Parts: sequence; structure tokens; C-alpha cells
Amino acid sequence: MVKVGIPRALLYYRYHPMWQTFFTRLGAELVVSPPTTRATLLAGSARVVADTCLPVKVFLGHVIHLVNKCDFVFIPVLRSVRRRVYNCSKFLGLPDMTRAVIPECPPILEIEIDVNKGEDYLHQAIYELGRHFTPKKSLIKEAAQAAWEAHDDFRKVMHHAGVMLPEAMTGREGEIREASSNSSQAAIGLIGHPYLIHDEFINHRLIERLQATHSRVVTPEMVTPGELEVATARLGRDYWAYEEEVVGAGSYFLQGKVDGIIGIATFGCGPDSLMMDMVRREAARIKSVPFMSLTLEEHTADAGVLTRLEAFLDMIHRKKRKTLPCA
Amino acid sequence: MRVGIPHLGNLYIPLKTLFRRLNVDYVVPPLNSRRTLSLGAKYSPEGLCIPFKLTMGNLIEAAELGADTLLMPGGYGICRLGYYVRIQEQVLRDLGHPATIVELGVSERKFLGFLEMVKKLSNNAPWTKIFAAFRFGLAKLNAIDRVERAVQKVRAVERDKGTANRLYARSLDALDEADDYRTLKKVEADYLAQLDAVPRNGRQPLIVGITGEFYVLLEPFSNLDLESELGKLGVEVHRTTFISEWTKFSLFFGFLGKSKKERIHQAAMPYLKRDIGGDGWESIGEKVLYARERYDGIIHLAPFTCMPEIVAQNIMPATREEIPVLTLLCDEQMGKPGMLTRLEAFVDLLERRRQKRDNKNNSGQAQSK
Ligand code: SF4
Ligand code: SF4
Repeated sequence: MVKVGIPRALLYYRYHPMWQTFFTRLGAELVVSPPTTRATLLAGSARVVADTCLPVKVFLGHVIHLVNKCDFVFIPVLRSVRRRVYNCSKFLGLPDMTRAVIPECPPILEIEIDVNKGEDYLHQAIYELGRHFTPKKSLIKEAAQAAWEAHDDFRKVMHHAGVMLPEAMTGREGEIREASSNSSQAAIGLIGHPYLIHDEFINHRLIERLQATHSRVVTPEMVTPGELEVATARLGRDYWAYEEEVVGAGSYFLQGKVDGIIGIATFGCGPDSLMMDMVRREAARIKSVPFMSLTLEEHTADAGVLTRLEAFLDMIHRKKRKTLPCA
Repeated sequence: MRVGIPHLGNLYIPLKTLFRRLNVDYVVPPLNSRRTLSLGAKYSPEGLCIPFKLTMGNLIEAAELGADTLLMPGGYGICRLGYYVRIQEQVLRDLGHPATIVELGVSERKFLGFLEMVKKLSNNAPWTKIFAAFRFGLAKLNAIDRVERAVQKVRAVERDKGTANRLYARSLDALDEADDYRTLKKVEADYLAQLDAVPRNGRQPLIVGITGEFYVLLEPFSNLDLESELGKLGVEVHRTTFISEWTKFSLFFGFLGKSKKERIHQAAMPYLKRDIGGDGWESIGEKVLYARERYDGIIHLAPFTCMPEIVAQNIMPATREEIPVLTLLCDEQMGKPGMLTRLEAFVDLLERRRQKRDNKNNSGQAQSK
């Protein structure tokens, strides 16, 4: 069986169920790299110039892990998934950059998605990808349809049933007991890319830590696309792909949906820093929901994140106690 | 209504011409300075690239001089400038400048958008007048670039360092004042002749190609006047990107002329298959071409944190075409002494390489005789 390697980084967090369905339907076996560790980061970081952003270093570390463990590594290029909304340069250059800095990398399966080029182009791209596994067009089409449905289900489980991404991805949503929303529990909205919010190594186990303080965590995937779109429009227009994960979710949460917002970005990321800035300004203007941003990089220390988090939660709890009616 | 503009090299000169001819009330903010940069850096979100910070500083300084309508290239297009305007407008508002930013849809509406904007700013001047003013502005831009090219060559070989730069500064003033085609032509010819007559030191200069992100290529303040410094070290620089070309590309289509651009992309193809936004694709293509054309070395200029150039920087070492590359990251932390040390070391390296090559060639010739 052909083995396809999937680096557990970047777009994995958004599209894995889709890819998994597609490739397994075509008879391939998937090899997903294990969760990020310090070793993953160090391996990736050793290959690139220091100013490369943290998520890309981590991504390359995952690719290095896959060397000799699979026949292909899958690295799609999502130029644009919405009309005239473009992705970060690093995504666009990912396959070529990987080849350049990891010469020992197995052959790369590429597919370029650009909705600006029309539907035919998209179909052609999917077909070419599928041809590595089967010459049968009908089979590829079926696999693509199933993949799309899997993606749709995955998104819906998150925004309709409020299931967190890791559980939705592994199909463990059944095991999650109903989140009891208790009014004294603080709700914290996280904004940022899924590859930051859901990579525990990158974000210093933020979600786990929040949950340990009995906070209820809400992530951008748990807001419906419609709500996100309206909220994004409130603060501006779309320009960068995935703007909704930051500006949209931020603007939505700011409408009193949570008790506090934490924005996660990485150092040196232009789009993130602009988008976080928009949310920060809006938060400062309306003053009702506290906002904190965490800018992570390779050398961010656990302790620093922890201290800031504690201070932020303290403030939220104090604020919450004040607004609760006295018993 | 008073119009203000950000700086990009000498672009302010033809813009002034355009405004003057159409009776637009305008201010040109002070040329980029430490103050511009520190203002810009102070009011920009952290981690942003130097083009954002400097233009931010320009807009603040223009607003301080009473500009209430600020022009910025903007609009969609990948990465390049696309997102600036929203934040910059908010920053200005927060600082208490009730200015509006007019986005020049560089990649979208091109020429038409620009003309419509000019029409509005000029209080509905007749189209014939607008076209005439525009044509003259463009002629000026071309003249400026031709003089600059000559300066690049003379700097490297002049006997008395600084002569070319002095002539260059004077020529810019004269070109700025020229108000009709005849004067323009005369001024250009005059300065080209003077540059030609500058006494030379008789040395064979090293030739270095300069590539990278367009803003830091075209705005000398942002690269600490790299080209002059290289001139002092006896290096002739070659750069494909000029302001006139950038402007024409932005307004019409074919930046370096379509074919020139395609040639660059073709050269990049084996290493980077697609446009990644900004100028990353071009940087790689130019590296390959400069290497093939046997330049002595390349200086790659990249704004610190610039995404496309980081990709380019990571890919460059993997190209088969070998040539020494020095990447300089431009931001407010970059200091002149540090840069000079790196430049000197780089030039030393290039000189040694050239000597080795010459020796090899000579011995090769001796053997074949
Ligand atoms: S969006 Fe930012 S964090 Fe993500 S790959 Fe691009 S530069 Fe890195
Ligand atoms: S191309 Fe580079 S310098 Fe230009 S806007 Fe993008 S990140 Fe900034």
C-alpha cells in the first residue's frame, strides 16, 4: 500500500479529516507525524533562517520525522479558498521551501487550490492528485465527494455541537460530556490559527491550563461560519485567508459572548500582528471584554506564559465577581 | 482639501509635478529621517515590516503639515501593501488627525483607478489636462531613473569619492524644477554629460546585483543608502527594479516589461514554482540569473519579518547556480556600523574570488598556448 505522510502542523488542523478520507478511499495508508515536541521544533529550526516563523519551523520538523517512513509527503498549496482572499506567502512556498531545506524529503504530493481560477481548475487539480493512486476518474471523484462531506461534518460537529477540535478530529465527540455552563465559570475565547491554538507544544498547553482553572474555552471553530462572516465584516473586510479566525472570532467574542479573549500569534507574522491589532483596538474601544495577546516564538518560556495567564484570569474573576449579584 | 503622500525614493518629484500642474493643494512630508522611522515604529503594531513603519511615519508627518487626504498604494494583491491602509487610518485617527486615506488600487484598478483619483483631487480638471500632466510626470520619472543609472556606474569608479552623489543631488533639484519637456531634456543631458566627465580611478569595479523586496530596494533610507556605500567600496551595483518601472507596472501591467519579468520567473521555476506574494519569486529568479551572468555577488535586501523574502532566503542556498549572497535585513535595529562591517567583509570575499578566477583563467590561457 502506498504510504502518504501527513505532517501534523499548519493546515493539518483545518483539513485532516478531508485528506484522510480522500487518501484512504483511494487505497493509501496515512502516516501522521506524532504531536509536536521540542525535538520536532529543534529539528525544523536547524534547517531554516532564524526569522522563519515558529509554525513553519514546527512544520518542517514534522516533515523530517516522516523521512523514510512514507512514500510521499502531502503538502497542499492553498493559494486562495475564497475569492480574492489570499494566503500567507509561507503557505504558498511550502512545497518548494521544504524541498530546498530538506533534500532527503520523500517526493512531495502537491495540489494547488485557487478558487480564483474557477471550478474546472479545481477539479483538474484534484484529479491530478488522485492519479497518483488510481487511473479511474470516477473513483477519484467519489473520494473527493466523500472527503468534502467528511470536512463538512467535521466543521459542523464543532460549530453546532460545540465540540473542540481535537475531539472532533478523532471522532471522539461522543465521549465528551455536555459542557455544563455554569454562570460563575469564566468563558475564555481564544483567537488565532488552529495550528497555534491546537498545538499544545506551541501554545504551552494553554487550553489544558485554562480548563484546569475551570474556565470554559471557546475557539473560533466553535462559532458558525455565518456568525463569523458577519463579525468579520463589522471590523473590516477580508484580505488574508483565515482572517475570520482572528478578526472574525475576535469581533464575535467582543459582543459580550465571553468573559475574556486571548489572542495567540507568533512573532514576526505580519498578517497576525495586523489582525490582532484590529481586535486589540476594538477591545480597547468598547472596554467590556478584557483582551490579552500572547506572541509566541521559539524561545518563549513556559514561566512567562504562565504568569501572564494567571494575572489575566485573576482580573477576569475579579471582574466577574463584581458583576454577579450578591447572594 | 490638502493631499499628502508617503515616500518611495524619488517618486515624490514627479508626483509634485503632477499636483502642481493640476493645481492640487499638496504637501510632501519631510524626506525619511530617524524621526519618521521612530514615529512609524512607535505607532505600528509590533513585528511589522519596515515599509509599513516608514509609510506610517510619512503619513503622520504629512498629517502634521495639514494634509487631510493621504494617498497610499493599497488594494488587493498578495501580501504587498494590501492590508496597510485600514490600520494606518486607525492609527491616524487615534492620534487625532482626521485624515482619510485614499487607496490607490495598485493591483486592481491600475491606471483607471489612478486617473479617477487624480480627477477627483484636481477638482474635476479636464481630462486633456490630466493626461498632459500625467505624461509629463512620467517623462520626468524616466529621466530621473536614467540619471540614477548613470550615477550607479560612476560611484564605483570615480576618483574623488562623493562626486557622483553631489551631482545626483543637484540633478534631482534641477529635474524637480524643470517645467517643460525642453528644459527636462536639457537638464538630463547636461547632468549625464557631467557624470560622464567625472574623473575615474581606472580600476575595474566588482559588479554586484541587488535584489529583494521592492520598497527596500527603492527607498535608500530604508537600506541605509546601501548603493552609495557600495560605491565607496568600489562596487558597481546593478538593479533591475527602478521606480519608473515599478510605477508603470503598478499602473499598467508589465513591470520590467512583461518578457523581462517572465524571464526572471522562468529562472526561478526549478526552485519555486509560483508567485508567493511580494517579490519572493523574483528574488530567487534574479539570484539564478545574476549567477548565470557571472556577476561577482548578490546583495539580497529584505525587510525584517518580510514573509516572501524569508521564503526566498530559505530557498536561495539550494539553487545550483552558485554565487555569494549577502542578505541584509532592513529594520530600525539595523545600524550603519554593523552594515558597513558586513559589506566590507563581503566585498573582500568577492575580491578574493575574482582574483582566484582571474588566476585560473590566466594559467588556463598559458597552458593552451
Ligand atoms: S500566517 Fe504567520 S504564522 Fe502562519 S505561516 Fe504565515 S507567517 Fe507563519
Ligand atoms: S512583501 Fe514583505 S515588506 Fe512587503 S508588505 Fe509583505 S511582508 Fe511587508
